[in-house]
Amino acid sequence: MNKILAVARWEYVEKVKSKAFLIGLFLTPIIMVGMGVIPSLLATQEDKTSKSIGVVDGTGQLAVPFAHRMQTRYMLSDGRPNYVVMPIEQVPGAPVEESIGEADRRVASGDIEGYCIIRGMGPADTVVEYRTRAVGDFMLGARIEETIRGIIAEKRAQGLGIDPRVLKELQVKLDLRTVKVSKTGEKEDSDFLKVFFSAYVFMMMLFFLIVTSGQVLVRSVLEEKSNRIVEVLVSSCSPTQLMAGKVLGLSALGFTQIGFWALIGVAATAQFGLNIVAPVNALLLIVYFVLGYLFYAAVFIAAGSPLTTEQAAQQVTSYLVMLLVIPIVLALPAMKNPDATWIKVLTFIPLLTPTMMALRIPIQMPQVWEIVLTIFIMIVSIYFGMVAAGRIFRVGILMTGKAPRLAEILRWIKTG
Amino acid sequence: MTGDPAMLQVKDVRKAFSTVVAVDGVSFEVHRGEIFGLLGPNGAGKTTTIRMILNILPPDGGVVTFDGHPFTDQTRNLVGYLPEERGLYRKSRLIDTILYFAELRGMHRGVAKEEAMKWLKRFGLDDQALRKVEELSKGNQQKIQFITAILHDPALVILDEPFSGLDPVNQVLFQDIFDEMKQQGRAVIFSTHQMEQAEKLSDSLCLINQGRMVLGGSVREVKKRYGSNSLHVEFEGDGAFMEGLPGVHRAFLYKNAAELDLTENAGVNDLIAGINAKVAVRKIELREPSLHSIFMQVVGGPSASGATP
Repeated sequence: MNKILAVARWEYVEKVKSKAFLIGLFLTPIIMVGMGVIPSLLATQEDKTSKSIGVVDGTGQLAVPFAHRMQTRYMLSDGRPNYVVMPIEQVPGAPVEESIGEADRRVASGDIEGYCIIRGMGPADTVVEYRTRAVGDFMLGARIEETIRGIIAEKRAQGLGIDPRVLKELQVKLDLRTVKVSKTGEKEDSDFLKVFFSAYVFMMMLFFLIVTSGQVLVRSVLEEKSNRIVEVLVSSCSPTQLMAGKVLGLSALGFTQIGFWALIGVAATAQFGLNIVAPVNALLLIVYFVLGYLFYAAVFIAAGSPLTTEQAAQQVTSYLVMLLVIPIVLALPAMKNPDATWIKVLTFIPLLTPTMMALRIPIQMPQVWEIVLTIFIMIVSIYFGMVAAGRIFRVGILMTGKAPRLAEILRWIKTG
Repeated sequence: MTGDPAMLQVKDVRKAFSTVVAVDGVSFEVHRGEIFGLLGPNGAGKTTTIRMILNILPPDGGVVTFDGHPFTDQTRNLVGYLPEERGLYRKSRLIDTILYFAELRGMHRGVAKEEAMKWLKRFGLDDQALRKVEELSKGNQQKIQFITAILHDPALVILDEPFSGLDPVNQVLFQDIFDEMKQQGRAVIFSTHQMEQAEKLSDSLCLINQGRMVLGGSVREVKKRYGSNSLHVEFEGDGAFMEGLPGVHRAFLYKNAAELDLTENAGVNDLIAGINAKVAVRKIELREPSLHSIFMQVVGGPSASGATP
């Protein structure tokens, strides 16, 4: 036991001091936040200053009401109009194409944010082109669409002799709110972003944790093999003790990382008033975290210890990483339909259980039997995984030169 | 040395890797207070034998016992090991590395620290305890590894090619430590392919060639059994005639020097007189057989391939 602790302590202390660990510790949350939050924040951010928009109107009828409505309907928080519509020089009756060159130049120079080209009003559809450098401004796009549609609708109504007030009456504004009902029947406010974000964050955390510590594990075994420290190690303690110590030390390392990230998360939650997960969910997620971590530790040991070169190690770890990416790819479909059978089936595959659960729990709490069964499956898998990994480890760590074939490794597992 | 029972007994161990038989029936005993040389050319099977002793590799056949018992977890704390290929954690500090290996051999951390500083001081490295391993020269790294092999006061120390890459000053330092350990009643096994080293240091030896044990026993016995005395002559003139002198079994002729292996009952005085009569002798010396010549005779000589005694 003392030797296991000595190995664990060594693995932990030496890795905690390493630059790679420190970089990962700070960089990972930054990347995660960067990928998950910033785009959505930017997309929904209100403008701070007025934007100039141009119009090239081929119909001669839409430019004026468009300018009027855009400038009066949307205001900045300080009361100034959000958009200023600038007319683009246009010879009356000439085709719109003649004005485009000039307008493009003004967009390019930053003089105007962008401009609309209305080539004509069709009997059914009207195509409006909005040219800009910032094609990602969805809010502006939606507003232009709504405004022009309104103007055209009014003009048509007039043509049909309908009172514009009637038209206003006919317009229905609908605000759809999705409310999540939890198992106990309480209602919970839910919005897509929040659910997506929390599921995503947990998956990514697990993903990064497993990938980084898996790599650390494989690399440390490889280092010990390549310089033959391993001979001294296995003459000092049994391979089982060595492996147990490594798993323990690296788990401690992983949970240091997670603990640190969780702290950041809690701080961020308090700061921005987000309530990402309920405590029960968090507890369950931690259980799956631990189980997933241990299971993958066994997988990485089994896969990593017979390797003899850095290249092979990189190859094997990248295959394992691909397995972990599956649930991340499935995040969106799963969110749309958390009850889908195939999602449930995937949850019971030990390699995928933790990430699938991290995905499912924030969206819709799985049934109790599912949770109990998956935890049971995980524990059984960890047990057998560790036993098999131990057998591979014992022989594998002394292998140098040519890496063993799969059939050989399977024989190690069988013969114990 | 012969009275007490052997601390380590290696009996007829064998090991084969897929196509090659690396060790084929090696047996020897090592006693407390004995320095034991494991000799043989490169690839003879020395390292594999050591790995089997240390339970790193399970032997395919034969047994290894410590005081009559097989290798157990307790045995791990009684042995120290310096592998042939030098390696340490490059990014770690000296002192941390030493303490880690000491702890793995069951040593208490506090005690280990004190001992470690003592040894570092002896090797002139005490001011570098906090430096990283990779900042050290190869020779100094070897010293650190040596310290990790002996720090926990092992009853048996196994050193695989301990002198390779060491400068003469540090070779002497290592040898002094060997002698101390011998005085303290520890057993030391070291492997080498350098016969002079083995001859100077070891009490007993085992010579392995191509996985087979070629000869073994105390150095004195071996010399008596396999070696013949030799006459070393330094002279001026043409020494070619010496080859044909009566009592000369084999001659190695150099410019102005000769080494003559003598037959068992050669008349040394007649021989010396015969040489004196033909060339101007500057120095003449009768020597015991060197391990080197025995080694060459048994392993490397022209008739050596099948020369298992």
